[in-house]
Order: sequence, then C-alpha cells, then structure tokens
Amino acid sequence: MDTPAMLQLLNDPMGVPFYPVVFQVLMVLTFALHILFVNLSLGATCLTVIGRLKGGERWTRLAGGMGQAATASVSGAILLGVAPLLFVQVIYDPFWYASSNLSAAWAIGFIFILMAGYASLYLARDRQGDAGSAFAGFAFAMFLTAGFIMHVLGFQLLQPEKWLGWYTSHGAASTAGTVLHDFSLPRFLHFVVPAFAVTGVFLMLYSWYFRARADADAAYLDWAGRLGAKMAFHATTIEILTGLLWLIVLPRDLRFHAHPLFVLGVVLGLGLLAFLYHAQDRETGHHLYAWPAAGAMFATVLEMAAAREALRVRYLARFGYAIADHRLNIDWGSTTLFFVTFVLCLVVLAWILAVAFRSGRVAGRWEAGPGMKAWGKASIALLVSWLAVVAGLGVAITLRNRGL
Amino acid sequence: MYPVWEVPGLTAGGVLALIATFHILPSHLSVSAMWLNLYLESKAYREERPDLLEFVRKYSRMLLIFAYVFGSITGVGIWFSASAAAPRALSGLIHNYVWGWATEWCFFLIEVAGIFTYYYTFDKVDRKTHLNIGWIFALGSWTTMVVIVGILTFMLTPGRWLVTGGFFDGFFNQTYWPQLFLRTTGMFAIAASYAVAVASRSADERTRADVVRIASAWGLAGLVLGTACFFWYRASLPEAARATFDVLLTPGLQKGMWMPIGLMAGYFAFLRFRPMSVGFTPALLAIAVLFVSIFSFERARELIRKPYLMPQFMYSNQIIGGELPAKGVSSETAAMNDKGILRFAPFVPDGLREVTDANRLEAGRMVALIECSACHTLSPKGLRPLPQRVAALGFTDAESMAAFIDGLGSYPFMPPFVGTETEKKALAAYLISISK
Repeated sequence: MDTPAMLQLLNDPMGVPFYPVVFQVLMVLTFALHILFVNLSLGATCLTVIGRLKGGERWTRLAGGMGQAATASVSGAILLGVAPLLFVQVIYDPFWYASSNLSAAWAIGFIFILMAGYASLYLARDRQGDAGSAFAGFAFAMFLTAGFIMHVLGFQLLQPEKWLGWYTSHGAASTAGTVLHDFSLPRFLHFVVPAFAVTGVFLMLYSWYFRARADADAAYLDWAGRLGAKMAFHATTIEILTGLLWLIVLPRDLRFHAHPLFVLGVVLGLGLLAFLYHAQDRETGHHLYAWPAAGAMFATVLEMAAAREALRVRYLARFGYAIADHRLNIDWGSTTLFFVTFVLCLVVLAWILAVAFRSGRVAGRWEAGPGMKAWGKASIALLVSWLAVVAGLGVAITLRNRGL
Repeated sequence: MYPVWEVPGLTAGGVLALIATFHILPSHLSVSAMWLNLYLESKAYREERPDLLEFVRKYSRMLLIFAYVFGSITGVGIWFSASAAAPRALSGLIHNYVWGWATEWCFFLIEVAGIFTYYYTFDKVDRKTHLNIGWIFALGSWTTMVVIVGILTFMLTPGRWLVTGGFFDGFFNQTYWPQLFLRTTGMFAIAASYAVAVASRSADERTRADVVRIASAWGLAGLVLGTACFFWYRASLPEAARATFDVLLTPGLQKGMWMPIGLMAGYFAFLRFRPMSVGFTPALLAIAVLFVSIFSFERARELIRKPYLMPQFMYSNQIIGGELPAKGVSSETAAMNDKGILRFAPFVPDGLREVTDANRLEAGRMVALIECSACHTLSPKGLRPLPQRVAALGFTDAESMAAFIDGLGSYPFMPPFVGTETEKKALAAYLISISK
C-alpha cells in the first residue's frame, strides 16, 4: 500500500461538518495563543528558578511574581491547547492519530509529566530556600520535556512515509509505543527559545501594569521592565538564528524559503527585532514600549503560526493530501451553536478579565462602577438565556424524536 | 486501522478507563463546588461570618489546584488515551461533534478565567461583584456538563442520528436527560465529600460544625436524588443494553455501585447529626469510597456499549459494521472479508500481509492485535486475557477454534470476525498456540 492510498484509507469516512478552511483558521489562531502561553509558562518558570537561586530583594520578589504568573499561564496553555488539539483531529486526523499512537507511551506520559510539573510549581510557591528552587527547577524540566514530546508528535506527523517502518520491528508489529522516532533540534529550539522573548515582553507589561498602583515601587518596576526588554531583544536575536538553522535543515523540495508566508514571517521577525532593539536601548521608561512590543510580538507569532501551517500543507501535499478533499457533510445547526456561543462567551470572559485587570491595579479594595455592574448582570443573564434556549431546543427535539 | 498500543496487563482501553475515572473526581467537583461556595459565601456576608468566608477561600483553593491542575490535564489525558485506545472511534465522534466540543471549550474559557479571578479577588473586589464571578463560574461550569453529556450519551444511544446523521438528533437522545440529572445530582455528593474533608482541617469549631452539617445535607440530597435518577436512567436504556447490563455486570461491579452509595449515605447522615466527630482521615476514605462507586458506574456504562463503540455503527475493535447513508458511509466488513484484514489494514508489516505456512502464527497474532486487542490482552495476565479465555473454552485444535470464531457474532457482546478463511485459520492457530 503506498502512502497516499494509506492516508486515504485512514481519513475519517464521516467527513467534516463545515468547510475545512474554517477549522484550519481556528486551529492557527488558537495555536498562536497556545504557544504564547506555553512560552510564558516556560519563561516565567525559568525566571522563578533563577530568581530563587540569585536571591536578594528584587530577584526574590520577581521570583514570587513569576511563580504566580506561571501557574496561571500553565492553565492558560492547557486551556488554549485543547482547541488546536481538537481542530487538528478534524482536518489532520490520520496524521495525529498515527503519530501519537506510534509513540503512545510518551503521549500518555506527557499527561503525567505535565501534572508532575504543574504540581511541583504549586509546591515551589509554598516553599522558600533550596526546596523551593528545587521544586521550581523540577517544574521547568518537566515542562521542557512535555514540550519536547509534543514537538516529536508534531514532527513524526509530517512523515507518513516512515510510519510503517517505525511500526515494524524484525518483521512483526512493534506495539510498545515507547520509542520517540524522530525529532528536529532546530525546529524544537525555534519553539522554545521564544519563551524568553515572550516572558521579556510580559515583564515590560508587568512593569507598566503595577506602576498605576498607589503602593507601586517604581525602582523595582523600572528594573523589571529593563530586564524584560533586554531579555526580549536577545532571545529574539537567537530566535532568528534558530529559524535560519531550521530553514537549512528543511527538505529542499519543499522550497519553503520562497513561500510568501515565510517571507512575511522574516519581515515581521526582523521588524520586531528592530523595535525591541530600540525599546531596550535606554536607561528607563521601558514600560512605555510594553504595549507596542506586545502587539508586534502577537502579530509576529500569529503570522509564524500561519507559516507553520503552510509548511505542513507543503509537507503533506507530497503525499497528495489536502484538507479541502475532506467530504463535506455540513451541519448548520451545530456550526451556528458554536459561533453564537463563542461570541456570547467572549462577552462574559471579557467581563471577568476586566474585573481581574481593574481590581489588580488598585492597592485596596476595588468597587465596581455602574457600567461594570450592569455588564456583570448581563453576563449572568446571557448564560441563563443560553441554557434556556438549549434546554427548549432539547425538549422540542426529544418530543419530536420520541417514538420515531 | 491505526498502530496498536499494547499495554502489558492492561490494554490501552484500561489506561483510558483509569484516566477517565480519575478525571470524574476533579471534573464533577469543578462543576458542583461553586454552588456550595455561593451558598456559604452568601451566608457569610448575610451573617457577617468571616470564619465561613475563610472556609470558602480554602475550599476554592482546593478547587483551583485540584480541578485545574489535575482535572484539566486529565481531561486532555482522556483525549490522548482515547487516541491510543480507539483512534477511529474518537475520530468518528470528533467528525460529528467537533462543534459540540468547541462549544464546551468556550465555557472552559469562562471556567478557567473565572476560578482564578474568583480565588484571587477575595477582599479585593466588592462583595456583590465577587458573588457575580461565582455565579458566572457556577453557570458556565455546569453548562460544560450540559454539553458533554450529549456527546457521552450519544456513544451509548445515538438515537435518530443513525437515520439523519444530525448533530442534535444524536445529542438529545433517549438517555440524555436522565444522565444529565443523574450527574447533576450526583455531583453534589462529590462536592460535599470534599467540603467535609476541607472543613475537617478547620481550627474553628463553629465553622467546622456548620460546614459539615450543611455539606452532609447537600451530600445526602445528592445521593437520594442521584439514586432516583439512576433508576430513571436505567429505564431509559434500550432493551439490548439492559440485557447486557444484567449479563456482563459481575457481582463485584454491582456491589461496587451500590455499597459505596449506602456507606456514603450513612456517613453523611451520621455527620449531619454529629458534625463534630468529623476527621480528616475518614473524610479522605469517604472520597475513596465514592471513587469506587463512580468507577463502577462508569465501567458499567462502558460495558453496556458492547459490542459497539458507536452503537449499530462501529464495533469495539473500531471496524465499521453499520451503514450511515446520511453521511455516505457504508460498512467495511464486506471489503475486509473479500480482501483480507491484513491486506486492508494499513499498519501491517509487509511480510504478514499474506498468510503462509511460515508466518501463520505471526499473521494470526497480527489479526488478534487488530480485532481482539482493544478488549483482550494477548499476554496471559491482565484484562480479559485471551490465553485464559481460550483455554477455558477447552478447544485443542485450530478447526474447532475456527468454528467458534465463526459464531462470535451471535454473542450479544462480541463483534463478528472479519477477514478471509485463511486469516481466520491463522487466528485460530495463534489462539490455540497461546492457550497451551
């Protein structure tokens, strides 16, 4: 059986409930957000370790803040990782399942490694001294390992021509799933080096955010902002080098260097680098560059997520696979359900985030104004209305289908 | 169709079952805990009880860490282990219910942002706003259950979906409402058992007494209503599933379902009247007892699906045996019988595609990996081990074994054999060889 025939057979026969490109766009968007949080988790955890090892007032304080940021960020990374994981199974099902099953023990191990790291991060928060540093260091090592496993699964996925060979050992099926079959160091580095760039920009935002509080320590925040700007600049410089290395090791026939999304990625990456150079090249006031830096970084990462997807499309086109070839079984009902829910939930989510944002910026207790109060009530009303509409729909369908 | 993952002594399905059962504890806790919190927080404000508020804070911390460290990661773990155990079934579900999961995910956004903000804004925001965050979390979190129950029950009773292929026809199926109410009521017993454990560590006697009394009432109510819903649920099952339920449910599993419920009811009733006799170790034991019950219920739910993963459509070994004209899908069994399973399936080493005298046992093992290993280990120890099962049948020659394999489909909980005569004989020879 040749590879294209194998892929055709593996493709889910049920087809997709909406245009594949919509899933692709959602996948790229949510992956970009996911990888930003992954990077922040890695970088913040690493700074927690460094801060605790260095000691001293500023570093200890920074380690505390970063430890707290890391716990929230890991949750965000998991939450935002679920969405691309779902969408990849819609449009790349043969690839995801084959790749993860070929290294199934690692795919399952990923879960336990992540849990061990996350639990360790919480343990680090409650402990001072060497024990605290050790727990934070262990968390960082676990997160890095988890990232590497995901890298391998994502990389094996691109090489369907090798799957059967990996699955066969001495003429029999090799079913232990304990081998990681292939990896690409430049590719992996290109995904983790930005941890320090993203965390650097996060520190600039941190410096900007807490400055507004009446009890703000301007000197400390200046220091954190400067540290962030320098980190972001240096990490982005290294990131461009890892990208170059990755380009060199890519298969020639993909001709990715000529892809418009790759070229745009280079332009945005260099633009970001130039901006970060400008931002870090001063004594104080780094926080003033925080928002433009965050915006530029988000745009660059989003573009790179799209470029990564374009690269996957090229890899898989070699085997005649295109997501547009999925059988379309459009389901308007559930598509509408999702998009309406998505908008509704964003309204509610924005209220929660606004409360968190505003209350964190005052030193004492924060009182919601009339606008925020109304928005909060409206959020509850939206959720109740959603339940009422869906329950009504459910009852109607149940009654209609009864006895059919 | 995909590479098989063999887990010594357990099967990949066993790994899925363990992760999924564990996930029930934090996930149902996250759905239920905030309702108890809202009650206690309102009471604390109304009666000016800072001690109660302190309990709410501790309980929320437990919720934050337990549900959003172990709960959310094991939730992803269910997907990963389902990918390993039954990739085609998961794929089939996702290709029908992707928007359902995506909808659930929208509420996850609210949950995660909600719990972090709720926990970190005690005393940081005005009371009304803090309660509103709680309400939003409680509603959003319960809504995730409203969504996921549609997909879970679809796997058991797909209803009109088999005809129309429609999302909502499968979603609002005959077991949807009973299972939604069963989980909704049962979750309060879970929330209560955790609340008792957290309260047992409280130094303040008044807090301990009040919280334990309130929580045990919630727990008792959850158990009583949950039991009633269980009978409603059981009555809503199709005839075949009820029959399988009676045949396959071992006495151990049945006891596992009911004894913990009785024990927990007794425990909550005792605490209701003697709240001060609460202890941390018994409280942890109570959570373990509850876990046994949940495990048994979930196992029973899985068992009664046999011989299918998607009833009337996909067998337990992920071979599509039913038709779904609405989506243009037809049964694969005829093609597999005609071509041979070893030629049809992509992940078969090249030397085993054709059965020969030299590779008969290896080829038979490959057929067993594809068609049997989802439920049976091929090693002598573990989950429903084939060597023992075959030995118990008493066959000593491949011909009788092959005749038995021929009749597999007539067992209510076994999928039929698919493949050529030669492959059947190879499988029979392999099974005889491992049973000796």
